[in-house]
Amino acid sequence: MASSLASARLAAADEGEAMELCHRKGWTDGLPVVPPTPARVRAMLEGLGLEPDHEIAYVAHRAVSITAEKVAINAVMAGCLPEHMPVVVAAVEAIGDPRWTYHGPGTSTAGAGVLIIVNGPVARELDINAGDNLFGPGWRANLTIGRAVRLVMRNVCGSRPGTLDRGTLGHPGKLSYVIAENEAESPWTPLHVERGLRPEQSAVTVMAAESPHQFYNQLSSTAEGVLTTLADNMRISGNVMGQTQYVLVIAGEHMRTIAGSGWDKPRIREFVFAHTQNSHAHLKRTQRMSGAILPEDESRMRPLCASPDDILVVAAGGRAGAFSAFIPGWGSARASLAVTKEVTR
Amino acid sequence: MIEILDPTVQPGAGDPATGPTWAPRPDSLAGRRIGLIENTKHNSDRLLQRIGDLLKSEYGAAETRMWRKRNSSVPAHEEIIAELKQSCDVMVAGIGD
Repeated sequence: MASSLASARLAAADEGEAMELCHRKGWTDGLPVVPPTPARVRAMLEGLGLEPDHEIAYVAHRAVSITAEKVAINAVMAGCLPEHMPVVVAAVEAIGDPRWTYHGPGTSTAGAGVLIIVNGPVARELDINAGDNLFGPGWRANLTIGRAVRLVMRNVCGSRPGTLDRGTLGHPGKLSYVIAENEAESPWTPLHVERGLRPEQSAVTVMAAESPHQFYNQLSSTAEGVLTTLADNMRISGNVMGQTQYVLVIAGEHMRTIAGSGWDKPRIREFVFAHTQNSHAHLKRTQRMSGAILPEDESRMRPLCASPDDILVVAAGGRAGAFSAFIPGWGSARASLAVTKEVTR
Repeated sequence: MIEILDPTVQPGAGDPATGPTWAPRPDSLAGRRIGLIENTKHNSDRLLQRIGDLLKSEYGAAETRMWRKRNSSVPAHEEIIAELKQSCDVMVAGIGD
């Protein structure tokens, strides 16, 4: 590595004192962090072959350059291993992409998390969980990669709760919100391939997102039955009027039921798009749409998303249990779009 | 004794060690031209116009003019910034939810 680490250095008596120093400086998410010593930060960068001053992303709204060095420091603090860094870097590239539009999801009172969906060989190599307890604890890669991204947002982009992160409620996914697609068992085209990459490439797809909304269907043995329940749960969700993107997370039992009916991802999208529309009259009656109710409003329908393509379908979750989830995107698709980036190693 | 690296960056222009640099603040609003940037949310235009009116009636600002961003999530676009630089001394941006 030619250039040296440029960040300011602070001294602490030992590891424990360094962890407390990080808390006192306001650098943490509330949980203890691994002290970012120069040796640990160098190990993160060496795995990537990146110079410390290499710019990973530039967030125009904040006029801030996110360098490899700052990403590495925050990844160390989050508990990442050097092999996790390529995924962290790809996710940081995604939140710096103008289509993701950092300012809104990074700041908004609506309190978006950064949902990171990992596809391709890297997910299996790094043991990124795609199965049981999908959004829960138990997997180092899932918890540390997303945590590193959030620490970059906090420490580099200034998204601190109460100042430039004004989330009214936030949600637990703002600590870490990383899943992989269960490509090994899924009968469907993986998300990253639908979004233009090859199956053997690795990728992250990053969406500004609400928390997961779980739904039950323990009754039906058909795709139409399961997805009718999903659509009924989903019809009034998220920013109903905003027309956000959505992620559907279809877990094992539902995946097998839907695939057993011969349905692929495009057909799922079309069905859910068609069955999540609301009448203007209902939206006005429930104080979501402004204006007086007109006779034609009873039959005039507003789609929940602008297009079926705004519904991203992911096969993930435990093998057992007739549950799946939908995840509303933040705000509106006009204001922030899901972005897919290749993970390069 | 161990050494750790600072994970933070001061957002904005200027020296990372000292933080962002701000445009100089006027001593008084008397006779100043006020730019208002509206972010498209419901009533943000009414809120900002009310603020602009108060800046005129109570602080002696000369005039107000309002621009509208493309949507609330994006920065003010270049045309707005260019026109603001030409025609305003002070700018107020805000939201009404």
